Amino acid sequence: MDKPSQQDIESLVKLFGESDWKEMHIKTDTLEFFISENPGSGLQNRSVQANVVKSQTEEIKPSPVLAEKPEEKSGVEYEVPKGMLAVRAPNLGTFYRRPKPDSDPYVEVGDAVTESTEVCLIEVMKLFTPVKAESSGEIIEILVSDGEMVEFNQPLVLIKPS
Amino acid sequence: MTIRKVLIANRGEIAVRIIRAAHDLGIETVLVASEADVDSGATRMADKVVVLGPAPSKASYLVPELIVHAALSTSCDAVHPGYGFLSERAILPELCDKHGLRFIGPKATTIQSLGNKVAARKIAKASAVPLVKGTSNITDKETAKREAETIGYPVLMKAASGGGGRGMFVASDDKDIDTQFESASKEAEEAFGDGNLYLEQYIENARHVEVQIAGDGKGRAVHFGDRDCSVQRRYQKMIEEGPCSIMSDTSRESMRSAAVKLMADLNYSNLGTVEFVYDPKRDEFFFIEVNTRIQVEHPVSEQVSSVDLIKLQFALAEGNLNVLPTQNQIVIKGHAIECRINAEDPENNFFPSPGRIANWSPPQGSGIRVDSHCFSGYQVPPFYDSMIGKLIITAPDRNAAIARAIAALENFSIEGIKTNLNLLLNVLRDQCFRENRFSTKWLENDFLNPHVRD
Repeated sequence: MDKPSQQDIESLVKLFGESDWKEMHIKTDTLEFFISENPGSGLQNRSVQANVVKSQTEEIKPSPVLAEKPEEKSGVEYEVPKGMLAVRAPNLGTFYRRPKPDSDPYVEVGDAVTESTEVCLIEVMKLFTPVKAESSGEIIEILVSDGEMVEFNQPLVLIKPS
Repeated sequence: MTIRKVLIANRGEIAVRIIRAAHDLGIETVLVASEADVDSGATRMADKVVVLGPAPSKASYLVPELIVHAALSTSCDAVHPGYGFLSERAILPELCDKHGLRFIGPKATTIQSLGNKVAARKIAKASAVPLVKGTSNITDKETAKREAETIGYPVLMKAASGGGGRGMFVASDDKDIDTQFESASKEAEEAFGDGNLYLEQYIENARHVEVQIAGDGKGRAVHFGDRDCSVQRRYQKMIEEGPCSIMSDTSRESMRSAAVKLMADLNYSNLGTVEFVYDPKRDEFFFIEVNTRIQVEHPVSEQVSSVDLIKLQFALAEGNLNVLPTQNQIVIKGHAIECRINAEDPENNFFPSPGRIANWSPPQGSGIRVDSHCFSGYQVPPFYDSMIGKLIITAPDRNAAIARAIAALENFSIEGIKTNLNLLLNVLRDQCFRENRFSTKWLENDFLNPHVRD
């Protein structure tokens, strides 16, 4: 058997999800796969399998936020350096640097902007809201990576006012 | 399917309560918060906090898209709505279904059909639940007056899509309808987006009694006893207790059975409450409405049934039908009283009293439970409901519960803001309350009215 693809793993997870099975354990030359409804059962004494599952399922999780640790400092608490202004998130949502996936970014570091320049996009459930610079100056830093979840009032883009 | 991580779409004491239950079950918690709520007992307990939006709830807690987006972005697999906010709006479970999230509550269609009070009356009628005489939707006051004549004054005018007393008034004659119909309809339109009103026969000296139900969604439902919530001010409950001890055993049993049958007929899933008005004089009960959410006063039923209702909500939402106990397994024992503690000034017409709590020291001891998100130094924000906690007392019988509640309230100290602690004490010490002689109008019309008290 070839090395299992992401689709293979996804199909197994889907199969399990739609079934009323409590556990599923598959072993081939290239794959050992164990999945259980009960996070406590079986996993401690089958740590090898559990690790396999963990590394496989991580691949298919859609959101990078999964890896985030609770003790990580929240983006909202970022301290804006003296003399700088921050463009902040109008609400919780997903941060995008481009109006469309195949377009150029709204702005790059070093660009000059005015109050009405759009600098990024915040999406909430397919509702896209462009965010304006609200001050004129130079883009110093983009504080959030493309596709990341941002919280209300979180600084997104740093501007040095002119 | 097992729930691994839940998003809690609420704030305050109920958020704390839900986080506690989730952690007991090994479920991770993500709490949403408005900007005004970033530091509370709930945010300190949650595994992760996500700031949704600014303080006003219409830009934060009341936006279903923000809630669902937050749940998906943090890899939650379920959403618990708590009470208030979006808990009884079908849009939230609809969005959850669409995005593969488990909504911890009834089905969207159930919320929808029971949310309209006129439709709910029809549903109750179909299950042979006793109804007070009432009408369908009424859009103009001439029809209202004609219908009121048929029912007989006094009548209660209510909002078709309403709750919480908004758009509601008592009419003793047709003049009252003339003067109040339009403003009530306008109030209903503003509060619920539906200006339709309807009429019900008004039962004087009534009690508000309700039955806590859980259903498996497949036609089986059980009850966890009843609660008497008659100590109210402006239709807001202040003290709730269970069981309702002035009711005859025959009436109590038939009220509980009627509630169970109604919810079973609906294939109701998860927790809900069937509310009744009880006429002590004639020992009769009548259907009011079904609340399709966990309620503020759920601890009363938890204390007398020894069942953790929030954990039951999680288990039912996971789809395991065996978690619903049989009626025989639920034993109602003892008496519980819940006092709602509000940041308000009873001396100054119940004016809200937000601000910093300099000292929060709740009572402790056997039979004493305090559900709250407050602590010394906590800032009560001015944007939301004034309730800052609940004192829940359990004892073998009503008199013992009252005595224990008085002692507990005497040992409850909240400094820095005005609260209703003293008022609660005075109510519990009042002869009418102790002798169980009061109606839903008693607190407002008699107890709080100085002309009557002197």
